[in-house]
Amino acid sequence: MTSTTTRSRTGTGAGAGAATRGPGLGRKLTRLTVFAVIAAVPPLLFDSYWVFLAAQVVAFAIATLGLDILYGRTGQLSLAHASFMGVGAYTTYTVSSYGYGPAVQLAAVVVVAVVAALVVAVPTLRLSGLRLALVTLAFGELLAWVIRNTTDLTGGTQGASVDPIVIGLLDSSEPVDAYLIALVPAVIATVLAAHLGRTQLGRRMLAVRDTELAAESVGVAVARTKITAFLLSAVYAGVAGWLYAAITGFIAPPDFDLFASVYLFVAVVIGGAGSVLGAWLGAAYIVLVPELFTLAGQPNLYPIVGGALLAIVALVVPDGIVGLGRGIGRRVRRARDGQEETA
Amino acid sequence: MTTAAPAVRTEGLTVRYGAFRALRDVTVNLPPGEIIGLIGPNGAGKTTLLNAISGFTPIAEGSVHVGDRDLTALGARRRALAGVVRGFQTVRLLERESVLTNVLIGTERLPQPSALAQFFGLPSQRRAHRRDTAAAAEVLDLLGLAGQSHRRVDELPFASRRLVEVARVLVSSPSVILLDEPAAGLDQEGRQELASVLTRIHRNHPSTMVVVEHDVDLVKTLCSYVIALDSGAFLRDGTPAEVFGDRQVQLAYFGRAAGADA
Ligand SMILES: Nc1ncnc2c1ncn2[C@@H]1O[C@H](COP(=O)(O)OP(=O)(O)OP(=O)(O)O)[C@@H](O)[C@H]1O
Ligand SMILES: [Mg+2]
Repeated sequence: MTSTTTRSRTGTGAGAGAATRGPGLGRKLTRLTVFAVIAAVPPLLFDSYWVFLAAQVVAFAIATLGLDILYGRTGQLSLAHASFMGVGAYTTYTVSSYGYGPAVQLAAVVVVAVVAALVVAVPTLRLSGLRLALVTLAFGELLAWVIRNTTDLTGGTQGASVDPIVIGLLDSSEPVDAYLIALVPAVIATVLAAHLGRTQLGRRMLAVRDTELAAESVGVAVARTKITAFLLSAVYAGVAGWLYAAITGFIAPPDFDLFASVYLFVAVVIGGAGSVLGAWLGAAYIVLVPELFTLAGQPNLYPIVGGALLAIVALVVPDGIVGLGRGIGRRVRRARDGQEETA
Repeated sequence: MTTAAPAVRTEGLTVRYGAFRALRDVTVNLPPGEIIGLIGPNGAGKTTLLNAISGFTPIAEGSVHVGDRDLTALGARRRALAGVVRGFQTVRLLERESVLTNVLIGTERLPQPSALAQFFGLPSQRRAHRRDTAAAAEVLDLLGLAGQSHRRVDELPFASRRLVEVARVLVSSPSVILLDEPAAGLDQEGRQELASVLTRIHRNHPSTMVVVEHDVDLVKTLCSYVIALDSGAFLRDGTPAEVFGDRQVQLAYFGRAAGADA
């Protein structure tokens, strides 16, 4: 954007191209190793409260990955993403109260999330931008209203205790177990989201985000692509809500209100829209940073500092933390190439 | 996958912007399988005609036929799927994506696996991906962009960006190709190269190809047929020699810009 190279260099496969090339075996192994090492840190080094938070980061990462599909890749603004987490969490609560285990819970969450997403997405087909955001906002409010008025079924404003998930020896009321349980769907969600970038489905989304005219000119179904993105993001959010309910053991309407949706949005923007790594960084940011402020005895500062940081990121590094890293990488490569040429 | 190149016919085409008629009762026949030059002074309605054929502007009156199909009632997307693919005069690219991604989006017309098959990376998706990347590599190579395929398009010089858009149009080998000033911004050498590439692609994959172009020499080397518009109206059609030899065309076209046209 800022760099217009007039002299054409023969491409060395910088940055952006990774979206269409599958990573080689070597790179896959490197990534796997790095991931395994980072993933092993919380349970091995941290006390159980921080492992509990780490488990939440993992659950929220699924939500931000989903919002990234919708906003980062498809360019659709939703203020109901936390509501879809709520759909997942309350479906989990309802299904588990009948004594059903994690497999049935997960299946129900996926089905209910898809149905709820269709209800929102199909009528709003032709909407985008602010109007879509307003409709999603209305959906969030509707959901909150339903919960408030169905105290028998959902616990209402008082919230509800959710039974832990038990899988074999793992019990999600134990932070380390919850962390391990959450890690499996999160890894799958991450691998699928990364793979999406190498599919025509993923490219349709980018085309809808950047230029609907060009998308249509090659035959892309714009409305269908938006709906698909909305459905995928809702399923991601629903699964995140399922894990959130199991990890925290208690859910209440404020967990899934407008502010929660805004924070998810902040996470995607700060981490770096359109990037899988950015979604993870964003999830870590919204779970851990408020905690650090609380630890420092200044919990009220978080919204202020968080808001300022969002403004700075939006203005200075529009591609978020990940974009910042890439920009530096590009600059380093360019400096190096320049040196080679003069040498 | 491509049927033989079809004839394209517009019948009494009128396009209105408010009270202004950008096209007036235009009836043209684009002969099948030819490379057709669409010429006319600025504002003649060349882009509007491409828009009307590709479904990007509402038609007030008239019809568009491709082969024996009436496409008048179809939207832009359905016309693309029917084989009519166009490039834009002002390039429309996915600015922050790579050259390859921009070209691959053009493979949408080829049979693509279902969204779920793609999402989960089923074998059908892998096959489609291999087919699409091979097609993209081929067209990028032809257009001299092979070395750039992993660069972001917003880093490219203007002329290359235009070629990326041409590549996106060509990658699915459409049977009707509409290019709006693809040579704009290219230097003399680049123009000649583009002309030979288009000729080669046209030979390998038969199509009815319309090229909007101001450069008379380029039209003469590239096109076997020429259609001239002026002020939204059909002026003349025929071989390049016939059209450029026509008095009215010379008056309308060279009258105002005799020199090199950018
Ligand atoms: N969307 C629009 N709204 C109003 N007027 C338009 C619109 N699009 C085109 N026009 C007008 O229609 C006329 C024909 O425009 P068109 O773009 O088809 O010309 P052109 O032959 O492609 O010219 P150029 O060589 O400059 O590209 C022009 O007078 C233009 O101003
Ligand atoms: Mg034009």
